[in-house]
Amino acid sequence: MIPLVEIAERIQTGEKIEDKKWDKMFYENISRLAKKYGIVHPPQQSYINMDDDMVERAYEAAVEFLETMGLYCLTTRRRVALTRPEILTAIREAPTEILMGTERDRRVWKQRKIEGREKLNICPGHHAPFSEDLAGLVVCNFAQIPRTDFIEGFNFTHIDGREIIGPPLEIYASRRQIHWMREGVRKAGRPGLAVVYYPINTRAEDLIGVMDPEHGLRRTDGILLSLLPDLKMEEDMLSAAIVYDEYGSFKLSGSFAIIGGFCGGIEGAIIEGITKPIAATIAYRDTIHYTGVEHLHMLNGRQILVPHVNWARSVVNQALNRFTHTICMRWVIPTSGPGTDLCLWEVAMQSVEAPINGMNLYAPRHCRTTMNHGQTPLEAEWMIEVSDAVIEQGLDRQAGNELLGRISARFENQKPAAGQDIGECYDLVHHQPKEAYRESYDRVKAALRELGLTKLIQ
Amino acid sequence: MEKGQLTPEEKSLLDSMEEAIIALDESQAVAVAEKVLSSGIDPKAAIRYAIANAAVAVGEKFEAGEYFLPQLVISGDLMDVVTKILERNIPQTETEKKKIIVIGTVQGDVHSIGKNIVATMLKSVGFHVVDLGVDVTSATFIEKAKDLKADMIALSSLLTTTMPYQKEVIDDLVSMGLRDRFKVMIGGGPVTKAYADTIRADGYGRDAIEAVEDAKRLLLAEG
Repeated sequence: MIPLVEIAERIQTGEKIEDKKWDKMFYENISRLAKKYGIVHPPQQSYINMDDDMVERAYEAAVEFLETMGLYCLTTRRRVALTRPEILTAIREAPTEILMGTERDRRVWKQRKIEGREKLNICPGHHAPFSEDLAGLVVCNFAQIPRTDFIEGFNFTHIDGREIIGPPLEIYASRRQIHWMREGVRKAGRPGLAVVYYPINTRAEDLIGVMDPEHGLRRTDGILLSLLPDLKMEEDMLSAAIVYDEYGSFKLSGSFAIIGGFCGGIEGAIIEGITKPIAATIAYRDTIHYTGVEHLHMLNGRQILVPHVNWARSVVNQALNRFTHTICMRWVIPTSGPGTDLCLWEVAMQSVEAPINGMNLYAPRHCRTTMNHGQTPLEAEWMIEVSDAVIEQGLDRQAGNELLGRISARFENQKPAAGQDIGECYDLVHHQPKEAYRESYDRVKAALRELGLTKLIQ
Repeated sequence: MEKGQLTPEEKSLLDSMEEAIIALDESQAVAVAEKVLSSGIDPKAAIRYAIANAAVAVGEKFEAGEYFLPQLVISGDLMDVVTKILERNIPQTETEKKKIIVIGTVQGDVHSIGKNIVATMLKSVGFHVVDLGVDVTSATFIEKAKDLKADMIALSSLLTTTMPYQKEVIDDLVSMGLRDRFKVMIGGGPVTKAYADTIRADGYGRDAIEAVEDAKRLLLAEG
């Protein structure tokens, strides 16, 4: 694979391009390739893709797109050109398994198969804001979930009662984040559990400052180093990637495409969605990716579902599983907040999709989360339950598609529900939902069994 | 001149210009704009009606999920081209002064997709938008806004740790005695209406569609 120092050189020596020109090239090329490879939504396919030829064409389009575009360094305003052999080598040499954690909390994260029958790897929570008074307790609750393989950090606005502003406070707060994570997993009786640093800012000093084998980020932990939309990379992220490559931590990336951005509609988003994890592997050596396709209206909480988005996500993940080594995760992002039936229905839908398309499951979180309002351990436990039942029941793409159709009918004419703060719907001391949320859970579970997921344990 | 006062031929011409812009058909839009120019239709009325209507239609298509950021960019550029053609018959002293918005992502933050969409949609509804890019310091926002005699400063932030830089711009404007000269609108993933109220921003957009509505409320309602 291309050495990171080679990328470091190319971001300083590559062709100089203004970002507006890059954006224009981006959508012109992605639109051209979507037409060339016939990437269109076929009739009668709603949620899960069943067209293997489409998957192959989408993959070919993505490789050609990356070869045509390369990467763009936002910091130096230069293009990093990539050859086809370099891209194919990166695809071939990326690992399909990642070791994390230590001793009895050691885990292996794996690339899954489409319609695979192995249980999914699980990151149950965070990537959401929590206030410092709740921090340790929240981490402990997520670590108590037995299936947890790693936990990602969280962001916050204040540290020691001070508003976080500027690099010194950011670095201090970043280190506290990891201390809370370590303390939380230890309290849960899982001291060796891997934690992943969630950057509260993307400056190199913030990213590297958490590294500390004694009390901070260990070599067996991970860090989130995401590529930006439109194949844009940052100098500071690359600096951190080089340091962490030597240190040994694994790296995650937010590698989904956003419909509504410069990739355009679902056709372009499919191409970007396949290209992006490959590009993140080359740019930062990321090995675990939350992948797929999202829609701006869903990320903004305007609509629970947008037609064909689930199908597009399915194409992307099937392509990554069939033709690359990408370890895919489904970032479960309900538009409804915790404490509501709708939130649990949305989590269920996304947890049905994941095992069928070959994805692991990652940090369910409200799409527009605000402080202490993004997630509770119940959504995480629920997504595990649902995905286990899908595997146990042996749902294939066709059966999954039909079940998803029945679930989505529940959302007709519904608007996302606002939800509640974690303290209002979840008892963090006793690790259980409060009564009303427990009733929601029982209600949704019974209804989902009736809709056909019969292997859900009563 | 009201649209109702146009002859059927004139109305048809303006409609076809509007349709060409909505369809992102540059050659057709330019050809019709040249015809409008030679037809004697008041070019100011043509801009007010055909282009304004096209902007609304494009915004609706974005909201409906039919158009995306690239289409917004293309339509914005096309509206500029057509406006420039029509303005050839308007004496410079009479050209309508557009409200100016300086926009960018605040210091320490390089996220751009939300800011790009807001900037493009603001442009498409008729504002003159100057996009300063990402990681923009408070001093740069204020300096540019002063230089351009801007009406509004729009600040985007995707990180909780860069939200304080939105407040910094407002605080700097206050300390420089410039707070009343510019409306300030904020937005971004973690930003809420409550936060906007706390830091005394004038406007807030939960997403691009709301941001455009708030900008119109703040800048156009006052006339």
